[in-house]
Amino acid sequence: MANPTNGRTAESRPSRKRRLQPMRKLLPPILLALALTVATAAHAAGPTYRVHVAGLACPFCAYGIEKSLGAIDGVARVETHIEDGVVIVEMAEGKTLDRAEAAQAVEDAGFTLDGFEAPAGGSQ
Amino acid sequence: MRTDDARMQIHTPSSLSRSAPGLLLLALTASLPTDATAASQTFNTALPVAKGEFVFRQQLLYRKADDDPSALSRDLEVRGSISVLGFGATGDLALFGVVPFLDKSLDLTTSGGARVNRDTSGLGDIRLFGRYTAFRADAKGRTFRIAPFAGIELPTGDDDDADSLGPLPATLQLGSGSWDPFFGVVATWQTLQFQIDAQASYKVNTEANGFEFGDELRLDASLQYRLWPRELGAGVPGFLYGVLEGNFVHRAKNRIGGADDPDSGGEQLFISPGLQYVTKRWVAEAIVQLPVAQNLNGAALEDDVIIRTGFRVNF
Repeated sequence: MANPTNGRTAESRPSRKRRLQPMRKLLPPILLALALTVATAAHAAGPTYRVHVAGLACPFCAYGIEKSLGAIDGVARVETHIEDGVVIVEMAEGKTLDRAEAAQAVEDAGFTLDGFEAPAGGSQ
Repeated sequence: MRTDDARMQIHTPSSLSRSAPGLLLLALTASLPTDATAASQTFNTALPVAKGEFVFRQQLLYRKADDDPSALSRDLEVRGSISVLGFGATGDLALFGVVPFLDKSLDLTTSGGARVNRDTSGLGDIRLFGRYTAFRADAKGRTFRIAPFAGIELPTGDDDDADSLGPLPATLQLGSGSWDPFFGVVATWQTLQFQIDAQASYKVNTEANGFEFGDELRLDASLQYRLWPRELGAGVPGFLYGVLEGNFVHRAKNRIGGADDPDSGGEQLFISPGLQYVTKRWVAEAIVQLPVAQNLNGAALEDDVIIRTGFRVNF
């Protein structure tokens, strides 16, 4: 019976199993490439800093500090832990975070820098 | 700055044409919340708006006042949509604009015994103000701040609207027609478990069209207590706050043609329970303001209830 949408007959259409076979062959290399990309990206991430922020006491305020720290050149990821009053700042590969920069970003957000932990060998 | 308002005291039969519920709305919306943080729902707080950050707040308002001691049996309903945009000029200085849209309806009985309705709707008086955090004491998981603020209410609302009965009373108009400065100070004590805000403000109402609303003194307080989650984990979970606020308002008598209106001004005290859900990017909130004491002059119309609900986002 003719297919009104494409004019092909059911008999001429390849079976679902046959159509999926090429995709199944491609799936392992695609997944492998994806895994390698993720692993490489993780490995290539720069140093991670712990910025202690005094005065941070509500979720709505956390956005401001994340936006301010995230605007620093080279910052790849920012993550706040409100109970600890700590913002984790992950830099891009080859980038470091300067304490003075972090202090200014915290000040611009309306808070006070309470501590700055750099990774061993990282910027202080 | 406070947001509700109540400038609606007034209306005595004799002064109905110039005083009534309108103002109330005006103030109501114009003074709406301008804060940009977790915080109180009926007034501003001292908490920060980060440099370069915007905060947008949208609030819907319903106000009803029908406890009329006069033979007019006035029944006032106000519906409003108040939009607030805040911007962090620096970490300590925040600038705000408050744009109210109002729909005001007043039912009353005429001297002939007929029941009539007078209403108006549209843009109210816009408020612009700045707030500067002058004192800040931060520690891990808590902060105490004091911030003075000052601004002006612009005569952007229509102040000469009329219907088939003639010009609407001044208090029912969408705008006052006058440039009204205000100032005050707000203090905030915030911890991970609770937050307390207190505010004092004063608004100097000036004359326009031969009418001058009485000046307003407001004292406001708010307690927000984290109900959920009971324990904090990693990251930034959303907070559900139980809210209890109190608002004391003193208004001087209005002046018509240079003389005091005896049916305007007085004191009101509101107690307001509410809820607030706060995340990093948005806040949803609702509160009901209940008048627990009203000592108004003459035949000023008393409030029954004010309901506010809305949301905030930052970007």
